Amino acid sequence: MTEPAFIDLRFDRSLYAGPAIDEAVKVFAAHGEFHMSEETDTWVVKLRALRPGPARTRRLAHELANYALGLTVQRGGA
Amino acid sequence: MSAATHAPMDLVAIRPQAGTQAFFRHRQVGEHVLVTNFEGNFLLLTQAEFTRYATGSVAPDSELFTRLSSANFLRASYDVRKAAEAVKARRGFLHAGPNLHILVVTLRCNETCIYCHASRANMDRVDTDMSKETAEKAVELALRSTSPFITIEFQGGEPLVNFAVVRHVCEYAGRRARELGKQLQFTMVSNFSLMDDEKLAFLVAHRVQLCTSIDGPEQLHNAQRKLPTMDAHQRAVHWIRKINQRYIDMGLDPTLYHVEALLTTTAASLPLWRQIVDTYVSLGCKALFLRPIDPFGFADRTRLRLEYPRSAYLEFYRNAVDYMLELNRQGVQILERYAGIFLTKILRGEDPNFLDLRSPAGAGIGQLAYNYDGKIFSCDEGRMLHEMGDSRFLLGDVRTSSYRDLVGHETVRAMVLASNLDGQPDCVNCTYQPYCGTISTFNYKNQGSIFGRMRESSVCAVHKGIQDYLFEKLAARDPHVLATFERWTTHRPREHFVQEPTSSPTTSAPPVQSPAEP
Amino acid sequence: MQSSYPDIPAGLVAHDLTDAAVELRVDPAIYPLQAVYGAAYIFIDRCYVFLDRPAADALRVTLTAKSGQADVGALRALIGEFANELISCAWRHQITQDNRVLLETVTLQAIAGAMGPPSLDDLASFDFSDQGFDDPLGIAMSWEEKHGKKPPPATTSEPTGDTTGDTTGNPTSGHGVEEPTP
Ligand code: SF4
Repeated sequence: MTEPAFIDLRFDRSLYAGPAIDEAVKVFAAHGEFHMSEETDTWVVKLRALRPGPARTRRLAHELANYALGLTVQRGGA
Repeated sequence: MSAATHAPMDLVAIRPQAGTQAFFRHRQVGEHVLVTNFEGNFLLLTQAEFTRYATGSVAPDSELFTRLSSANFLRASYDVRKAAEAVKARRGFLHAGPNLHILVVTLRCNETCIYCHASRANMDRVDTDMSKETAEKAVELALRSTSPFITIEFQGGEPLVNFAVVRHVCEYAGRRARELGKQLQFTMVSNFSLMDDEKLAFLVAHRVQLCTSIDGPEQLHNAQRKLPTMDAHQRAVHWIRKINQRYIDMGLDPTLYHVEALLTTTAASLPLWRQIVDTYVSLGCKALFLRPIDPFGFADRTRLRLEYPRSAYLEFYRNAVDYMLELNRQGVQILERYAGIFLTKILRGEDPNFLDLRSPAGAGIGQLAYNYDGKIFSCDEGRMLHEMGDSRFLLGDVRTSSYRDLVGHETVRAMVLASNLDGQPDCVNCTYQPYCGTISTFNYKNQGSIFGRMRESSVCAVHKGIQDYLFEKLAARDPHVLATFERWTTHRPREHFVQEPTSSPTTSAPPVQSPAEP
Repeated sequence: MQSSYPDIPAGLVAHDLTDAAVELRVDPAIYPLQAVYGAAYIFIDRCYVFLDRPAADALRVTLTAKSGQADVGALRALIGEFANELISCAWRHQITQDNRVLLETVTLQAIAGAMGPPSLDDLASFDFSDQGFDDPLGIAMSWEEKHGKKPPPATTSEPTGDTTGDTTGNPTSGHGVEEPTP
């Protein structure tokens, strides 16, 4: 069986708060494999679900992004 | 006749000129133009008068000038002190905390109503009964309110199912209120089907104001509120008559003291406006509250069956109130409560403190709801949402929360901000803003945020429609209608329902008013 | 992503039926970021919401329906409702700024009126050790903390030059940190 592919989530630093992304990754840590990096304007989260299937990885990315957005808004913005 | 049947005003042709007017908002109502100002004064102008006002060409020696000036619509003569006094009078409710405390003494109910879903449990669910200990803690919190007048409302489920706790609260709260110098009254919303002479004797002796639900004529009521015996209406009517007679025997004025009945307006009610009014009149009720059904407490599937377009509701409202006005003309005294609330604000410049129709609304600062298990919510709708799995409006618990934790809760603060119409798109420009209100829980349930969007809100549509109707009536100047409206805004206190005199009353203002009993 | 809807100007909205997603380009000159956040937040129960900047002068909101409902009509309705919410949030943002004093005064009065003064029990259970205790006027500070204890003379008898009396180095802090909110 092939390993599920990674997808990149690129969060614009002017729109998402860094700590919100850290927190979101922690919350979903048990469900996937995450690699975080920084670029000039973006936080990049490379992720894939632990259980196979591209739909699972997509769902994980969606949930992570929603969580990060929710926390960003609660903090009053990026 | 509705406003829509008149040709709309040609605003473009008016070429308004700013400068002489004080701040105002306007709306076409029938053939007239309604203008309201910041502090809530209103004038109904003809289109020609409005044009003169908007273009700044009112002759200083004209009658129109005097009218505009004395109602504070002109910039040059704008009386700031008078305006400030008026705003203060309208927002008098801001100075005291929750006066309404809803105790859900059980979720159990012996009736199965087609519109009630989440706020009831079957009769074997004794685990949904409030304990005496929880009730006492709730009472202690309620009596901590900064409001000098406290109303404890017994609700359910069916509160008579847990009568032991109702009885205990009446005795305990009565004693504590006397010790603390608070004015207290009790109300109970019951279907009466479990009422008996002993319970009634206790409730009457303890001055508990009794309310029940009447959905209209027998057939409609029994189809919507189901008892295994299919006689919910007969039972309710039996007790209404008995209780009303008891008040008469006690020497109380029946126009003031009688069972209050509450209507739930479903799709099936809409064609039956005349029968509904007749039913209420025949039961000795002096008031009917034509509230549209709200989305709390029942499943979405049920909702589709019960809901109706707001335009259909407004037609029902107009028909029913036209009929009530006609009955008043014939000497029958019956009022519509929505109209009474709006007219008190419009004609008297006062706020009758109806918690769902004020700005900011009463959730958390005017009312609190205590669930059977001791959980406390900003309002009863918030509690119902919790029963449906969403605890957004949960403020605390009788065992752990202090009074100040509850009313100072961040959820309450957010609701106060969100229900202040001075911060609400659409409302800031709406002619009816000084008299209106919005409901955060309703907005949240229907539009996803406590702010809501008024343009798409059915509550706003209802508020606009009712106020359009009332201003059309005011513009038509029928002396009978005006006299009835005047009566509908005359408040008579129901002193009998206030508990025995307190040791040191905080203020002499009357606590319990019958909103506009005739 | 496929464009577009005949009733929406070209290039503003596109949808992806396979992913049940629809995206909207927002001009940040018209809609403040706080309004975009406000509208986005309201949709996170129904949708997966993602924000990005496809260009320096544009914001993009991508909504993916959690229901998976992927017909064109449903996605059109979704983005339409989002646009309504967005304009409502933008206007509310403006009104809140315009009416700030009125709104704050009423809220303050409502909460203060409801809370009343603290009772002795409230005071007894108040946590005065709270780190967040705000003391803009420096009332809780000792005299030395507030006005700065003169450091011991340096080796010479020259004045040190430290006359601000400010432990934070901020010359204005003796007057309170901020103007009181109106
Ligand atoms: S809720 Fe509707 S009717 Fe009421 S003030 Fe707002 S816009 Fe006007």
